[in-house]
Amino acid sequence: MTERGLQGYIVKRLIYAVLITCGVVTITFLLLRLGPSSPADKYLANMSARTQDPSQVIAAVEARYGLDKPIHEQYAEYVVNLVRGDWGWSFSTSMPVIKLIQRHWVYSFQLILLSMLFSASLGILIGVYSAIKQYTRTDYLATLLSFIGISIPNFWLGIMLILIFSVQLGWFKSYYDTGLPMFSLANLKALVLPVITLGTGMMAGYTRYARSATLDNLRKDFVRTARAKGLPERVVIGKHAFRNAVLPIITIIMFDLSGVVFGGAYLTEIIFGIPGLGRISFNAIFANDYPVVVTITLIGAMVVLLTNLATDIVYTRLDPRIRYD
Amino acid sequence: MKWLVILIIALLAVTAGCSSPSAPESAPAPEPTVTGTFIKGTSGGDAETLNWLLAADASSFSYAGSAMDSLATYDNDWNVVLRHLAKPVQVSEDGLTYTMTIRDDLTWSDNTGVTAEDYVYTLKNLMFSDWLNYTYQTDWQETVNDEAVFVEPEVVDETTFIIKRQTVDPEFADNAIYSLMPYPKHIALKYEGDVKAFTQAEEFNNLSFTGNLGSYRYKEWVRNDKFVVERNPDNYLGRDDDSPYFKEYVTKLLGTSAAVNAALEAGDITYTGVEPEQVAKFKQMKSVKVFTVPTRGYDLIIFNLRNNGWDGLKNKKVRQALSMSIGKKMVIDSIRLGFADPAFSFIPSSSPWYTDEGVPQYGFGDLYDKDKAKQLLFEAGYGIRKPGGTTAVQDKDGKPLKLTLATTPGGGISENLAFLVKQELGDIDIEVDIKLVPWPTLLRQYVMNKAPGTDEEPRYNNGPEAVSEQPWELIIMAFNTHPIAPSGSRVFFTTDGGLNFWGYTNPKVDKLFNKVTSREALDIDARKKMYAEISQIIAEDQSVAFLTFPRGNHGFQANVEGIDVGMRLGWNYHKWYFAEP
Repeated sequence: MTERGLQGYIVKRLIYAVLITCGVVTITFLLLRLGPSSPADKYLANMSARTQDPSQVIAAVEARYGLDKPIHEQYAEYVVNLVRGDWGWSFSTSMPVIKLIQRHWVYSFQLILLSMLFSASLGILIGVYSAIKQYTRTDYLATLLSFIGISIPNFWLGIMLILIFSVQLGWFKSYYDTGLPMFSLANLKALVLPVITLGTGMMAGYTRYARSATLDNLRKDFVRTARAKGLPERVVIGKHAFRNAVLPIITIIMFDLSGVVFGGAYLTEIIFGIPGLGRISFNAIFANDYPVVVTITLIGAMVVLLTNLATDIVYTRLDPRIRYD
Repeated sequence: MKWLVILIIALLAVTAGCSSPSAPESAPAPEPTVTGTFIKGTSGGDAETLNWLLAADASSFSYAGSAMDSLATYDNDWNVVLRHLAKPVQVSEDGLTYTMTIRDDLTWSDNTGVTAEDYVYTLKNLMFSDWLNYTYQTDWQETVNDEAVFVEPEVVDETTFIIKRQTVDPEFADNAIYSLMPYPKHIALKYEGDVKAFTQAEEFNNLSFTGNLGSYRYKEWVRNDKFVVERNPDNYLGRDDDSPYFKEYVTKLLGTSAAVNAALEAGDITYTGVEPEQVAKFKQMKSVKVFTVPTRGYDLIIFNLRNNGWDGLKNKKVRQALSMSIGKKMVIDSIRLGFADPAFSFIPSSSPWYTDEGVPQYGFGDLYDKDKAKQLLFEAGYGIRKPGGTTAVQDKDGKPLKLTLATTPGGGISENLAFLVKQELGDIDIEVDIKLVPWPTLLRQYVMNKAPGTDEEPRYNNGPEAVSEQPWELIIMAFNTHPIAPSGSRVFFTTDGGLNFWGYTNPKVDKLFNKVTSREALDIDARKKMYAEISQIIAEDQSVAFLTFPRGNHGFQANVEGIDVGMRLGWNYHKWYFAEP
């Protein structure tokens, strides 16, 4: 593919990304603001106990947060402020949304990044090894462990890891400590159990995909040709079979990444007390804190769009046959 | 795959320290010294704001309260303990004027003194204002000529202010005055009248103004993670005893009670509430000590007396029969695992107003009797005699009785109670259909009501004709009470009570609740008789079936000393200390 063709493709995809992002913001905003719940709900019981009129209660609280204007004015104001970099005020945490995101994204990011690295590297390695050793005890064991890994719910695994490695062995703290320096061994240690919890299911999945994709390629003519040419098995597997097998796995990894960003890490964050975006957004949804929910949805949408674009670009590098022009 | 297992174990071993939690040795408690970080673990929700005038959740008040005391508090025996007050509240003989004198050594963070003017400003310009709409405004209102009016605060001198009322309320100090915390007038003036600016005011959102008003002062708040306060060396309470004794006091939020309990077991937190099923395990551990204390809450079954419930529930005998069939001891033993006391009214036995004299104890002792319950239902027209002389319960039209019970899901106490009620009522031929609905749905569809065919806004009590969106017969819930000032429960049990969503009405009860907040009730004995009468009538009417007053279990690391064990467990938390680091 020519560099020019690729550039044109990227520009086109970015334009689509902007349009899709606008749509996501609009739909999320309208769904939250036109729904039956109100940020004033939490005040109703207390104020009703004191025989106050609920409509007055709602009106007062909505005025406090600027929700008393017509919906189109709220929307226009929100979008203009968003473009200007003012992402609004979070009702449920009493701080500007931008500061909230700045403070908390890193907790999710480090967890997701390390989990992806852990699950993808080990998963692919085991899958490929398992394929090479097809129908041996090693292969059967890998298959068994993969199915166990896929079946274990995150919350159960997390609690078990805490009980074994924190409570019984005392090797790790039972929760994540946000006071630790980000780039320190102590922080890495604090993330070991959460990463295993989040990564185990994904790793098991990648093992299965990698095994299957490698087996497919091992039966292909070009692998047979490579072997016939007398290339060492290491080169046949590494350079020919694996390189072709890895393409579909990258798609799956990117797909998983969007899923994790959109809340897959929530349970792990809950179990280990990690104040990441999953936990923040979950609480914001229940508190009807729309500035936070819209912003996190927006970030999630952008991650999906950009990872998809990155996947397409990586494809062109890994497989020169793929062309976008 | 062996190498993978080895790799993971090796990874764990390399990154892990190798120390295991060890039990502290028992030794006589030394004198308190300032040391260590106290970590309170909780699976509850985070606070929404530290700007407490805007708060509607318990965590917000708790966080703000850890950096700033109120005028007074209570100890475990419900004696008033002065905090910002220099001397007890003086009440005039006619019960209409309250005089508060604050300490003269209270300062804001900029070293300006806290004055009576700050308190009066907080009341008049913030709490009573139209622009701020303080959630608990009506605690400071009284009804005069059928109109709600605010009480009148007034500055007397630098450290003294008074509050004038037009009507007598002997529990006014307990329900409002003691919990008052001031805002600094000189800072609040900048934001007055602008609700958005006040909401986002930095000083109020990071408690940077609290000076020496609390044992601890704000250090850090990581949302959905932890709230940290540090020892306040200037605090007014520590002048004599150098308290508090922890360098830092951290509230750590963990998502589940299982995670919190594991953290206590691992020694990663200092204190948390312990689930009943975990108590025995923790009591066996040397490194943890568990205290069991009474609580202010009670659980109950509410009967729908409105027009969209089963008609039979409007009959007192029927309600008594249902309550008579649900064993409180069974609830205590099998659901609360022994950590509860039976409830017969909204006043707990720890209250000075408690009496069991003349209060029928449905569902307990002799009044837990399913045969008698069937007999009562038969007498009310809801049963037939079978040829063998036994009674079969059925509706008046001969159909089997089926009642809808709504409560919240989650595998917790409410859900377990629901299934126990289903089993108990099943024994008297009543089928119970359990609806497990999320809390917001329960409130909107079952609890809030409005008159059919009108456009009125649904509320918890919208008058006698109002009904909820969904029909129901029984709801399981938990309410709170104030043992020293239970008149606040009028919101549940009076005809116009804002939270009386089930339509209970008894003019005698309305009258008695008015009397306990009247001049007549200034006489302690007279008030005691009034509360006794209210308890008797409400227990006799059984518009709700009181179940239990649960006890709370609190687990501490064994090296924490200075705890005064009781219902108000944390009242002296500034005096807690580590016997060893």
